[in-house]
Amino acid sequence: MAASRGFTGLWRTYVTLRRPPFCVPAAVRTQSSGGGDLLPRTSLSRPPWADEPSPVGLEEEQRRHAAVVSAVNQRIQNRDFGRLFAVVHFAGRQWKVTNEDLILIENHIDAECGERIRVEKVLLVGAEDFTLVGRPLLGRELARVEATVIEKTESWPKVHMRFWKRHRYQRKRWVVQPQTVLRINSIDLAPNLS
Amino acid sequence: MVFLTLPLWIRNRGPDRFWKVQDLLKHARHFRGRKNRCYSLAVRAVRRAFVYATKSRKLKKRNMRTLWITRIAAATREHSMKYPALIHNLTKSSIQLNRRVISDLAITEPRTFQSLAKIARARQQEGFRAALGDGREPPGVLSRVVMLQ
Repeated sequence: MAASRGFTGLWRTYVTLRRPPFCVPAAVRTQSSGGGDLLPRTSLSRPPWADEPSPVGLEEEQRRHAAVVSAVNQRIQNRDFGRLFAVVHFAGRQWKVTNEDLILIENHIDAECGERIRVEKVLLVGAEDFTLVGRPLLGRELARVEATVIEKTESWPKVHMRFWKRHRYQRKRWVVQPQTVLRINSIDLAPNLS
Repeated sequence: MVFLTLPLWIRNRGPDRFWKVQDLLKHARHFRGRKNRCYSLAVRAVRRAFVYATKSRKLKKRNMRTLWITRIAAATREHSMKYPALIHNLTKSSIQLNRRVISDLAITEPRTFQSLAKIARARQQEGFRAALGDGREPPGVLSRVVMLQ
């Protein structure tokens, strides 16, 4: 599970460069015309962004990672986040949900109207300052997404028509799908993050 | 032919032609021209409309996917990466977000998208380091790399 943040207060491990278009990169492969580059240097042979900055050492990277993890841990302990959003896998689809969201699902669910459901497969949870990305899922004890079944209905009648010209073949069928409406009640994070 | 009374001499047609015609014309009322009024023209137009609706339900899925891919590619290029690199490295890091969700995050949650791009970039660098190794040939192998060292 990876934790990362986009805080502007601390350093950024990724540097956003002002876009100097087509600037000469630091590590230039100086080649004579006899040796030859892999590609001739044209306006499209290099991507329009400059080469990446020099990589930091391993210890520095680990220190930064530990700092980020401890900061996110503290946020979660103090419940310092505002509204949470989550990416949830349900009914064969992925949904980006937050509190008080309505979801329309194009099939039948075995729960009755008014029943509270816990959605288990959570792929990503985010707040304003940090995101928790699951690989591929977040733990069951970590994130909890609860929803209520509001409505179970049918879709409007859709037409399924086949027609072959010059063969006197046409078939028309009306298709009505069952639908369910869920309201996401709450998204919650547990205080313990490894 | 036996017709016992005058009323039976008159041919009896079906009683509900009007409603059958209206049933079809109601699907054509928003069309342009005489197709929204005249039955023969409306039959053909409504048939085409139904067939197009059926086929487009499959096309819509394809078009939406290309749209998501275009949006994700544009967003990754803002972060100095390309779309194939992002998707490949996210899959290698076993992050199974689909393109619809990633494009939604790129639009509404830019910081989360930036963190995904960073994860993909880190995994990419890891892959390069693993592939390049330490630049030496295995011991006992004589090659151009060894001669240049």
